[in-house]
Formats: sequence, C-alpha cells, structure tokens
Amino acid sequence: MITGTAITKTFKQRGNVLGKREVPALRGVDFAIPKGGAVSFIGESGCGKTTLGRIIAGLETYDSGEIVIDGTPMSSLTHRNRQPYYRRIQLIHQDPYSALNPTRTIHQTLEAPLRLRARQTGRSKGWCDVRAEELLDLVGIDPGYVLPRYPHQLSGGMRQRVVIARALTMDPEMLVADEAVSMIDVSLRLGILGLLRDLRERLGVSVLFITHDIATARYVGDEGELYVIYRGQVVERGPTETIIADPVHPYTQSLLSAIPVLHGLERPGAEQVVPTEALDEGQTDEGCLFSRRCPFSTARCESERPVLGHDGGESGEATVQLHACFHPRRRSVIPQGVGA
Amino acid sequence: MTRDSAAPEVRIRDLTVVYKTPAGELPAVSGVSLTLTPGTITGVVGESGSGKSTLALSLLNAVQPPGRIAAGSVEIDGLGDVLHLGGEDLRRTRGRKVGYVFQAAQSSLNPLKTVGKQLLDLGRSHDVADLRALVADAKALLARMGLDGARVLDSHQHELSGGMRQRVGIMLALVLNAQVVVLDEPTTALDMITQATILRIIREVHEERALTTLVITHDVGAVAEVADDLAVMYGGRVVEHGPIAEVLGTPRHPYTQGLIRAIPRLSGDISLARALPGRPPTLGTLPVVGCVFRERCDKRMEICETVEPETVTYDGRTVACHAAGRPAPVKRREYA
Repeated sequence: MITGTAITKTFKQRGNVLGKREVPALRGVDFAIPKGGAVSFIGESGCGKTTLGRIIAGLETYDSGEIVIDGTPMSSLTHRNRQPYYRRIQLIHQDPYSALNPTRTIHQTLEAPLRLRARQTGRSKGWCDVRAEELLDLVGIDPGYVLPRYPHQLSGGMRQRVVIARALTMDPEMLVADEAVSMIDVSLRLGILGLLRDLRERLGVSVLFITHDIATARYVGDEGELYVIYRGQVVERGPTETIIADPVHPYTQSLLSAIPVLHGLERPGAEQVVPTEALDEGQTDEGCLFSRRCPFSTARCESERPVLGHDGGESGEATVQLHACFHPRRRSVIPQGVGA
Repeated sequence: MTRDSAAPEVRIRDLTVVYKTPAGELPAVSGVSLTLTPGTITGVVGESGSGKSTLALSLLNAVQPPGRIAAGSVEIDGLGDVLHLGGEDLRRTRGRKVGYVFQAAQSSLNPLKTVGKQLLDLGRSHDVADLRALVADAKALLARMGLDGARVLDSHQHELSGGMRQRVGIMLALVLNAQVVVLDEPTTALDMITQATILRIIREVHEERALTTLVITHDVGAVAEVADDLAVMYGGRVVEHGPIAEVLGTPRHPYTQGLIRAIPRLSGDISLARALPGRPPTLGTLPVVGCVFRERCDKRMEICETVEPETVTYDGRTVACHAAGRPAPVKRREYA
C-alpha cells in the first residue's frame, strides 16, 4: 500500500532578466494505491501525471507532502534506507525502442539485475538463468528465441514484454507503466494490457497505469481506480467504470468527448463538451484551473478554487466518486454501441 | 487564384514499390490499386510495416532510395501519371498540386527560420508573383484554424505547441491551393482534445476547399472520425476498401475484423476485446507466396498457403480474402 498526501512539485526554469519562471507541476495531490490494485492517472501532456509517476517510483524529488509505503513515511528515512522500499516499485518505460541497450542481448539485459537480486537474496548464479527463462515465460515470450537476440531483432510488442520482464527481476510489488502501450501497434496493445492484468492476478502486483488514452485504462483490470489530472490537480477520481460512464467534471467530460467515434459501430454520446479555448492559451492560476476553458464556468469559478470532494451527486447519496467542481453534472458524452 | 473547383480523382493502379535490402529487392507495396473519389477523404490504416507511408510518398513520386517504384501508375486528374513526371515538372507539382502534411510537423519545419520566412521560401520556389497575397492567404488559413496568423508567422517552430505546428503544416500544404492533400499521421503524438480539434479542422477545410484528401494513420479511431472511405493495408496490400461505416460495421476481411476487435473501447464488454495473435510482418518476414495474413488468421484454409487472394469487388466494397468470397454472416453484436 502506497499513499501520498498533499504532494507538490514546482519546476523552476532558468529565468531571463525578468526573473525565474516557476511551473507548478503538482499542486497538492493525494493518492492511495492499494496492494494488488490498479490505479490509472489520466490527463493531457504537461498535466503532471508523468512527474507523479516518477515521484512514486523514487526517480524524482517532491517539494512538500508525504509518501508512505507500507506504513513507513519516506521522510523519516535517509536516502540509503529508502532504497529497499523503492526496489519494490519498478518503472516500465514508454518507449520500448529506447529502453533497452542495443548493444546487449536480452540475456545480458536480464542477467545484470538478476545477479544483483541473487546477491541480495543469497541465491547461486545458476538461479539467474533459470529465473530469466521463468520471467520470459511469464510475460508470454519464448525464452529460447529471445534470450540470445538483440533488441533490434525483436518487434515492439516483444520488446515491451522484455522491458516488463526486466522490471519483474526485482520482484516488485508495484509496476509503474508510463504510457506503456502508446508506441505499440494497435493489434498488439490489448496483449500488453492483458499481460499487466495477468500479472496483477497471478503475482498480486499493483499497477499504476499512466496514460492519455482513457479507453486503455479499462483493460488493466477490474476494480481499478481512475484519477483525472489537470494542471497538477486531481479534478475527478473514482472507480474506472464509473468515471468513464458517469463523469461529472467538465474536464473529464471534454476528454471523453474528444475520443473519436467509430462510425458504423458507435454513435456519439448525446451531449458533447468542447473546451472553449485551447490548452496553450490564457492559463490563469486564479480560481478553478479549468475555468478559462470550461463552457459552464461562472463568476464563482473564476475567483475560488474547488477542492476534491464529493457532494453526494444529484441523487443525494454518498458515492466514492470525488470531483473538484462547483457545478458537477452528469452528461452522457461517451459513444454508445450501435445495436447493443 | 480561383481554379476549377471540382476536386480531382486519384487513381493508383497496380503500384509496386520495392526496397533494396541485402536479401534482394523486397516489396513494401505490392500491386496496390486504389481510387480516391473526388471530394472525399480516404483513410488508410495499417500497422508499422504495412506500407502505408510508402504508398503516401508514391503520390508525390517521392520514394527515396533504397526504395524504388517498380511498377504501376498514379494518375491524378489534370496532371496525368505522376510517376512519369520528373525534374522541374515534378518539383512544381509538389506543393502546388499535391500538398503533403508530414508526420511529426516539428521535425518538418526549419528550426532556424520563422514560419513566415519558410512561407516566403515556399512562395519563391513556386514563382508566386504576389507574395503579399500569399501571406494574406496564409493568415486567413491560420485564422480559419483558430490561430493568430500574424503571431504564428513571426514564431519559430519551438515557440509553437504540437497542435499549432500541425496546423502550420496543414497551412503550408494548402496555401498554394493544392487540390490533393496527403496527411501522414496527422494526429500522432497529440493530446486527445487537440486531436479532436485537428480532426475537425481537417474535415472542415476539406469541405470548404473541395479537396481530395488521403489520411494515413495507424489509429482506426482517428480516421473513423473524419474519413468517408477506409482502406485497410496489411503487408503491402490493400486488403479491404469501402465506405467507412460499412467497413467498420461489417468488416469482411479477417484482418479488419481482428483489428476492430483489438481497439480499446469506452463502452461495451471488455472481455470481448482481444489482441490479434502473432505480430505484424516486416519486409523480411513477409511470405512470398500465398496470403500475407495467413499466419495470424483464424479463417485460414489450405488455399491460403499457396495462392494469393485476388481483390474482389462487390456492393461497392473490395476485399482480398479467400474466406470472404462468400458473404459470411457477421457477428455485429460482438463489436457493439
């Protein structure tokens, strides 16, 4: 179980004569990733989802807030003593074409971390070879074919499986998959997503899935939770299926409205939410961060910033769906299957 | 610059493009015939190595060595066979008659020059007499796409966001009034909302200017949103082609069926979605005889091993598959 409370991170850019420019990447984010759970971070580029993923994987520092891993607050530990905790969290890189060393065979790629692992756990060297084959079997590729080969001899889908196998050498409890399928051929994407789901079920690893493609988040597994992040703030959070089927935040709704409709198979949702402005223009830090682009913005939105919480929805009953909006309303924005 | 407003027809016939490799010349595109109906948007989808980008480059006769157009013709109304053009004629055609929006607009713009200077370069190389009018046209086009024209023309490419660069790319392809436009992966690497905006712009500009448009992509969703017709490529062949709603609604080729089943969707039962088995072929692993898809096909028959399926047309749709010869009942419900 990994929890984070009020995580903030600001990137300071080297300034010009007018002074330094500060870019807030995370503005006080809370999260909880249960053991064996699946959590997805969704948002556009620059929203802070990758920064948050890197912080969770221990690859990036944060300015304030607290991360607690299995009950131990990380701030109470020295850098060295944190290492065993972060070993349990492994990152799967976005680009399987650059994540593997082109001058090493897959055998060499897997052997280095396995040797380390063998030393840590007091196993013999022979164990490494056995384990390498086990791991490749686990990720669904033929060890005999893959082990002696170099990355360039493998397809994108196979490389991504090798990257996942390499992450598994450390016996992680959590995998952080940052856009793990966006560079994979469409026909093979579901295979990788299915593999992540499989690893959850068989090994009990939790998966943190970071993506801009909401639809893929459904396929990481049941009982997943979705966080919609906008400019460093979680604007909506809840069970994946609920957020996709019944979003209440206008930003979530505009993300879902933007997903192309497969004409002939689907018809567009009855209501579409289109932001009034593009992301790159007219950003303000006052009031609701989305207010400038929001078609439903009111005077209150421009002066006051909503916090993540729930208001019981329209029906009045408490839900696990949280949102940061003064005017939440359900709108049916996602495409519906024809003939279903 | 008013020209005949009727959009031209593009006829690709038996096009074969080969690449020279240590293993000999291998076909990236083999025997492709495709007609782009005037005034429509045709989407070409395919995975990596399907030959879709090579096909797009052939429209400009711009296949670079080690590639070579080995056979076939690309006829565009009012231009004749593009593959027989050369030298100055070919250079003038590119940009003025056939506009091309490159994949990754950031790497196709010159990082050292402002967009405006690149626009003037384009004008001079095509002997545009009135450069002022050209700039005015460019500003109008950029404004049409929701950008501040003057500001964009004064910017270098690093000052523009991905979505803005993509719109600059579209502007440069259209400003000389090209009537045939090819867009190579126009929305790859763009965010969802930006992608939706770009797709809407492509559709609107296409209709306003009466263009014949070809959109190349790996993303079925992106073409589904804009295209009228869909051509599905696999292993250098067009395996299925027809009106988009029909191809997506009742796919006839097993590859199209599998591809549609493999798309992550927002609604519907997730257990019905399945990845295609196997992996996309590369130039080296493409079978020489028989059907190129048979290795991954669930309807594989004996004849597929030895005979390449012919492209057959019925009900305005073409399909190249031995199993699809007889209209099979399609499990439509499964995709819904």
